[in-house]
Amino acid sequence: MAKGFYTDTTVCIGCKACQVACHQWNNIPAEESGKRNLTGDSYDNTGRLSALNWRHVKFIEQFPDDRQQDGFLKGSRWLMMSDVCKHCVQAPCLEVCPTGAIIRTEFDSVFIQQDVCNGCRACVSACPFGVVDTGPDGKAHKCTLCYDRLQHGQEPACAQACPTDSIRFGDVDELMAYADQRVANLRAQGIDAYVYGKEDILGGLNSFYVLVDKPNVYGLPENPQMASANVDEGFALSTVAAAAVAVTGIAAFRKHRMDQIAASETEAGAERAKPTDAGSNTG
Amino acid sequence: MPNAPHWGWYIILYFFIGGLAAGLYFIGTLANLGGDPRDRPVTRFCYLAAFPLVLACGFLLTVDLGKPLRFWHMLIQSERIPLPMLKYWAPMSLGSWVLAIFAIFSGVAFIGALVDSGRLTNDRALRLVAWGRARSRALKLAWWLVGCFCALFFGGYTGVLLVGTNVPLWHNAQLLGAVFLLSAASTAYALLILVLKRRGGRESIVSLRKLEAADRWIIVLELLAIVIMLVTLGRFARPLVTGGFGVLFWIGVIGVGLLFPLLLPHLRLAALTRRPALGATCVLAGGLLLRFVVIMAPQWPNIALWKL
Repeated sequence: MAKGFYTDTTVCIGCKACQVACHQWNNIPAEESGKRNLTGDSYDNTGRLSALNWRHVKFIEQFPDDRQQDGFLKGSRWLMMSDVCKHCVQAPCLEVCPTGAIIRTEFDSVFIQQDVCNGCRACVSACPFGVVDTGPDGKAHKCTLCYDRLQHGQEPACAQACPTDSIRFGDVDELMAYADQRVANLRAQGIDAYVYGKEDILGGLNSFYVLVDKPNVYGLPENPQMASANVDEGFALSTVAAAAVAVTGIAAFRKHRMDQIAASETEAGAERAKPTDAGSNTG
Repeated sequence: MPNAPHWGWYIILYFFIGGLAAGLYFIGTLANLGGDPRDRPVTRFCYLAAFPLVLACGFLLTVDLGKPLRFWHMLIQSERIPLPMLKYWAPMSLGSWVLAIFAIFSGVAFIGALVDSGRLTNDRALRLVAWGRARSRALKLAWWLVGCFCALFFGGYTGVLLVGTNVPLWHNAQLLGAVFLLSAASTAYALLILVLKRRGGRESIVSLRKLEAADRWIIVLELLAIVIMLVTLGRFARPLVTGGFGVLFWIGVIGVGLLFPLLLPHLRLAALTRRPALGATCVLAGGLLLRFVVIMAPQWPNIALWKL
């Protein structure tokens, strides 16, 4: 049975308990030994998911340019979302990993085997969500869905720590049914909510979200693709170029060879003709 | 949007040197099979240069890894030794295998060229070369064809490797493999022209004419491929064609690296005729710059421009 996360962004309060729990359980050190500069434009001082941040709470502040419009802060919105690896059903990172370091576990999660990864970074460039990153140790890192905890019947640390149940862990099918119900409730209240991560996105995301704005507002791609989506076409066009390289090369070498053969034949013909002419003259 | 993979100068140089090695091996084989006896120095130089360049490629790829000592994980399943590790749908996996196989082909050609040039007189090597040359014509032709296939694949797969990512500029540039392959051929021709012009001598004039004719055609095709690629890329081309990288791309790659060498024979400037290898030098510099801007543009500013 596939396990995963259902993240309801409408009840996230941005407390970052998930980030702290993730760091603590997985023993992830702070970036730059904790000497971080504040971004200065938000409560978000993590910035992005990285090798040292497997959970990242995004703060999306939506205010009109004139904050007094329609009364103080009326029509304003503050969206918060705890981002994490999506554990895609069709995972681009797993697809491209040339060493076999990235595997699918018995919980249907996507896991990087640290003893196999050689730090080629193919997975980093393949993940459309900007999840995978290389750490100071040269290897690729991302959320493991707390594989070690799952093997002992525990839920991931972030889900356990979440005080509002914005992050829920469980069987993906059950979570999805719950999310659909939640979306229906929100829509009944006039909130334009939807589930991001159904089958139309990379075969389904085992870690999916309830969102209330367009995906790109949350920094999520509208239509993420498999990294290899255009590879066949790329190879086909390269084959055409290879044919062009071969034809031009052969033409250049053959043409001169033919010219040379023609020239030598003309030369030989002229030489054969010479004594005959002389003979006829003498005759 | 993916995080920057931090592919820096090791990868830029690998792409450039790999292209040169592929192009040289292919041209060397073409001159060997289709050329006349006066092309033998071309073949010899190609084979003498290609193999060391392939070795340099292996070195660059290895030192670029986060864990260089695990380079063999690309070819062997580290948990099931000695089962091979191959994902034929993943360009990086396929490329690792082709690099390894191409090293064998270029290595054999290298030994043959060493023996021909009298640099290698070891009995075992002489026997090996004699054994190889005593094979049937069909077998030798098959060997050269497979070698050329590996060379052409190796010259173009680097571009397809970038297509096989989710970085928008790379992912949507389906022609990148074709552009890199054409660039591999043009830079290899340029290197040969440069070497032959430096050597001088009447013997090389015939070969030079052939190489220059082929290089002109390839440059025209490369320009055409780049234009089509930019048109099909549309807004995704922005990191490449605007800003500082745009200046390098338009002036360095297109202007100096492709248009100038193409127009050079028609420019009647005294200062230019004193530098006979100027066009070839520009093609080589343009080829390196092409790889620099294509690799760096979508990663910047998340990567330092001097990042190895």
